[in-house]
Amino acid sequence: MNVLLVFAHPNPASFSGALRDIVLSCAEKTACEIRQHDLYDTGFSAALSANEWSLHRSPPDTKPHLAEYYADLQWCDTIVFVYPTWWSGQPAIAKAWLDRVLANDVAWTFPDGAKRIHGNLKNVKRIVAITTHGSSKWVNALEGEAGKRTLSRGLRVLCSWRCRFTWLAMYGVDNSTRYERNKFTQQVEHRLMRMFHH
Amino acid sequence: MNIVVVFAHPSADSFGQAICSTAVTALESSGHNVSLLSLYQSHFAAAMSREEWLAYHGESPALDPDVKLHGELVRNADALVFIYPTWWSGLPSIMKGWLERVLVSGVAFHFNKKDKVRPSLKQVRHLVGISTYGSPHVYIALMNDNGRRIITRALRACTGWRTKRTWLGMYNMGNATSSELTAFLERVHKTMRELS
Repeated sequence: MNVLLVFAHPNPASFSGALRDIVLSCAEKTACEIRQHDLYDTGFSAALSANEWSLHRSPPDTKPHLAEYYADLQWCDTIVFVYPTWWSGQPAIAKAWLDRVLANDVAWTFPDGAKRIHGNLKNVKRIVAITTHGSSKWVNALEGEAGKRTLSRGLRVLCSWRCRFTWLAMYGVDNSTRYERNKFTQQVEHRLMRMFHH
Repeated sequence: MNIVVVFAHPSADSFGQAICSTAVTALESSGHNVSLLSLYQSHFAAAMSREEWLAYHGESPALDPDVKLHGELVRNADALVFIYPTWWSGLPSIMKGWLERVLVSGVAFHFNKKDKVRPSLKQVRHLVGISTYGSPHVYIALMNDNGRRIITRALRACTGWRTKRTWLGMYNMGNATSSELTAFLERVHKTMRELS
């Protein structure tokens, strides 16, 4: 398996950082190939620039500064996101990864006469999101689970038609105990080990 | 009314910019006190820093002077207007970052004794979103309009359930004719002039 890990948290010593380490160790144990985009650590720009916006419909070679990101996206068969849910969605820097890296002729094409974009990530067979929510599950349901739907619908339609989506979310982390967090990390490890073995 | 307009578009000659100018002109012509926060123009930093994250649950989570200023404007606002292009069914990252960094505890909400989030923006009477979409309305409905949900649901949880919501969407931008665009600007103008 070729796993692309997208990690967005300003503090590697956080609980999200611990979850990221689990993804890395599971990949190592199962001998999966893994590449990581650690967005904060690499100083990834958190906003689509005016230049990038003007090149929105242009071919990828017009944006050479993003070439490595494009290559990893086309190389992988599984994308794993690890981030804390803020304001019911991905942190800005992770949303910026979607805004900037999902580019024309990489993630999608817009053929002449088409009404909307066509997905171009046939290589991606699975999307995994590992995330924490400060508030409870029912509050998030009421608020619409925007982050979950961004990945399970918005991103998934670009991928293989049989692309699976796995949502590993911990709710109420602000008021959680160490025991609950340990239980969640064990669940994540268990699910990843099974996934990466196939 | 005190109205805060939060605007995000990277290009100065975009249709988004035209919407923003139309909205601000209409609001001012009705005698409102408008504060325009143009995030790209002011080079607003989108990503919450490590220091801000560490201070998030503390007494003073806003560290940056610009962020503090934006927070004070929001505290005194009677209406909030968000103008942005919808990308990947959500807010542009810079606007998502604005929510994360400006609307911290002490501004939009407070933590109660049990560390649960409680609303602090009950004076906001109206939430308005104006967005452009590349796809037709039907497709947006299928994908889920996540930007709209964040503003009309997650943010409304901080303003209270009496807060009115108004949404203006210009769908199918890729195939829009100039008369459709003009009609949309007129709709923006009319809605903003009559905002209460």
